[in-house]
Amino acid sequence: MYGFYGRLLHLDLTTGESVWREIEEVRLRAFLGGIGLGSSLLYEYAATGVDPFSLANPLIFASAPLVGTGLTTTAKYAVVTKSPLTGFIADSLSSSYFALELKRIGVDALIITGRAATMTYVFINNHHVEIRSADHLRGKSPLDTESMIRAELQSPSVRVAAIGKAGETLVRFATISNEGRHAGRGGVGAVMGAKNLKAIALSGNCPTEVADANGIEKIAGVLRERSLSSLTDKYREMGTVANLAVFNRLGTLPTRNFQQSTFDNAEALTGESLTENNFSRKHGCAACTIRCERLFKALDGAEQRMEYETLFALGPLCGIRDPGAVLQAAQLCDLYGLDSISTGGTLAWAMECGEKGFLPEAQKLGLRFGEPEGVFAAIAAIAERRGIGALLAEGSRRAAVEVGGDSMYWAMHVKGLELPGYEPRSLKTMALGLAVSPRGACHNRSGAYEADFSGEVDRFSTDSKRGSLVAESENFAATLDSLIVCKFLRKCFSDFYQEAAEVLSKVTGWDYTGAELKRAGERIHTAKKLFNVREGWQPEDDWLPQRLLGETLPTGVGAGVGLSPDELRQMIQSYYRARGWDDHGYIPESRLAELNLPQVAMHRKCAVIRQ
Amino acid sequence: MESNPTPADASAVVLVGGKSSRMGRPKALLPFDGEPLIVRVLRALKKMFAETVVVAAPDQDLPILPTMLARDEVAYQGPVSGIYHGLKAATKDVCFVTSCDAPFLNLQLIAHLVAQISDHDVVVPYWQERFQPLHAVYRTSVLPLLKDQLERGELRPIFLYDKVRTRKIPQEEIRRIDPEGLSFLNMNSPAEYEAALQLWNKRNSISVSVELFGVARLLTKTQLVSLDLAQGATLAEVFSALAEKLPALAGRVINSEGLINGYTCNINGLNFVRSPNAKVSSGDKIFILSADAGG
Repeated sequence: MYGFYGRLLHLDLTTGESVWREIEEVRLRAFLGGIGLGSSLLYEYAATGVDPFSLANPLIFASAPLVGTGLTTTAKYAVVTKSPLTGFIADSLSSSYFALELKRIGVDALIITGRAATMTYVFINNHHVEIRSADHLRGKSPLDTESMIRAELQSPSVRVAAIGKAGETLVRFATISNEGRHAGRGGVGAVMGAKNLKAIALSGNCPTEVADANGIEKIAGVLRERSLSSLTDKYREMGTVANLAVFNRLGTLPTRNFQQSTFDNAEALTGESLTENNFSRKHGCAACTIRCERLFKALDGAEQRMEYETLFALGPLCGIRDPGAVLQAAQLCDLYGLDSISTGGTLAWAMECGEKGFLPEAQKLGLRFGEPEGVFAAIAAIAERRGIGALLAEGSRRAAVEVGGDSMYWAMHVKGLELPGYEPRSLKTMALGLAVSPRGACHNRSGAYEADFSGEVDRFSTDSKRGSLVAESENFAATLDSLIVCKFLRKCFSDFYQEAAEVLSKVTGWDYTGAELKRAGERIHTAKKLFNVREGWQPEDDWLPQRLLGETLPTGVGAGVGLSPDELRQMIQSYYRARGWDDHGYIPESRLAELNLPQVAMHRKCAVIRQ
Repeated sequence: MESNPTPADASAVVLVGGKSSRMGRPKALLPFDGEPLIVRVLRALKKMFAETVVVAAPDQDLPILPTMLARDEVAYQGPVSGIYHGLKAATKDVCFVTSCDAPFLNLQLIAHLVAQISDHDVVVPYWQERFQPLHAVYRTSVLPLLKDQLERGELRPIFLYDKVRTRKIPQEEIRRIDPEGLSFLNMNSPAEYEAALQLWNKRNSISVSVELFGVARLLTKTQLVSLDLAQGATLAEVFSALAEKLPALAGRVINSEGLINGYTCNINGLNFVRSPNAKVSSGDKIFILSADAGG
């Protein structure tokens, strides 16, 4: 088999047993790798209704056919599990050398179940699996954990993914981190923590064999060239922090817990100002020519990664305008292994609670819009589940249920996942994308904002076109996330499905067509939804926070614009229609059959190869 | 009572027979907005007057013009001669008289002056403490007096005003219609001509502001640029004016076809537009930003 190994490694931490199982080609062809393969395995390996923190919840690391081929931006892996934050699917991506090493150990997926008796880490060296004590790593940051493990294994080729303190204390939005990057959303780090698994260390030398090496080399050259063209200028020259100034000007920058969509005095926080005043250096993932990462100088002189979502969530969303403070808050999130979007979203909720007299402890901790000290204190409290931190560690939805009263009104989440930095009222296609995403409020599993930012639609109003735009955007994202190709390369294809199918064929030797790839994207997205339905999804889960449907925007070019429940309902209906689902959002059997979902071995156990 | 006269019942007289000595070339033929000044002035007046009369020097060369043509009997005798021969050629009783080097004629002010003639023989604006005899209305009834003046060698028109029923239009009254008194701006030297051209360009251009984001801002170290463009300008003109003003954008963000792939443009925070043919309006705020909103 080319591009894949056709096998997975299942490690049960309770028993310490490792089993290699076959992944049939039919499944790989149907789901590819990454998010697709991970979703199909989750459906099989997670028992219906499984508690995310239980032994039985599988934590799945999935590689992908393009990983290791040298194609730019493909050094990525997916983490898929049942989310402790949403109760639905968590599918996160991370990238760089750990992704390459995951491929090199000779499996397409690594599934971890059970729970170790004490804090441990796993070292997988090709076919050798070793479970080691991680007692000495308790409380360490992911980066420290990485360097300590690499030092003790005395192998420079070892790559490590780890959780921080927040994962250990089961903060429901804890991340898994490698080389400073995070599988960030949905609380995959807490699932790892629940397994008493501090880190995974990998070292391998299995080659990635491709069917047509010359063909791949040629395509790699073309993609590399395109990746260095003006199409990626933004990512190469400034990174995603470039969004902040634009979003502020366009009235799409969520501010003070979505009370506004513009932030006064945002100037110092703009990517332009950060680049001018705080820039330290550019960085990139392994096998990436775009190098979108930006490191800035934090107050203590250390370098801190910063991208738009972290900047928005710990900045304007919390009313913070000092770049030094935002960099420091981001440092803390990285140190503890916290999803910065959910951290910012939960803190902004708490700030508003304090403002409205609902949460005196928040006020006591200094959690007030615009005050950095409260943010620093609260991030530490969350990671340690100390005081009010124990409540906030549950995320805004659970915390709001606990606090009660009207506080749910300003808990800005969908399905429990806090909203990213795209104001839905002035980006109506995105509003729909956020409402229906299986992962919850997510800007990565649907790039629906692209329609709003392209002039293709009127971003301030709604219509029945939006359903198909969102569905197409989700299918596109699902395809990228399963091949895996970074989204920052997405504009570099002139006919994505056609060109990507050609790449996939040259890697795997399959005769994959553009149409088949498009269908795979749709199948993968549908599989995620299918998992959610099985786990208790209800039509009311596809909805937006009340604030967005009850208040118009007070400032900016979108002043006076709102989103009514009827408008949202109509867009959701148009989406269900576009997907071929019923009026309530359930997937008819006939639709599943059309996508070959019952036939592609999602329900069939993988056969044991060796134990 | 008779209703006030209107230009539709009146003649317009345009004097072109001056020496143009300081200008160094015939003022009537100075190019203005792509055409000879006289053509432009005539076109404006023909819109409202029953007829137009151009008064030239005896041997003056002129292009063929759609107007009655009169000639001074003696060259370069000054405005009284021109007014006299114009009034004499006109078939209407009321005549608005102007020189040809007045590019900023204000038709509303002219109509107002004509309407003031009812019980008078002359209506003459008084602007900045000076009569404006070459932007005034005369009845043909003053012809005998002008003839006398010419014979006596009284070459300044204002000698007429004491002798007839003259309505002097004060500055405040003019300001209500022509606040800057541009109607009286004429051009006697190349410098004045140049200044008038600039003023005209300014008054007939639109102003847009361009806000630069991301790479465009980094390249130019500029956040905001104001551009003056011709009426009816399109984004293509915005882009090329911008590239001229900020050369760092040329080849990186803007090329000869407009915005380079990877960049887009938003007008007033509302519409995303990439087509170079899109029209812009005065006061538009144009944002140049990355075409990719991902992050």
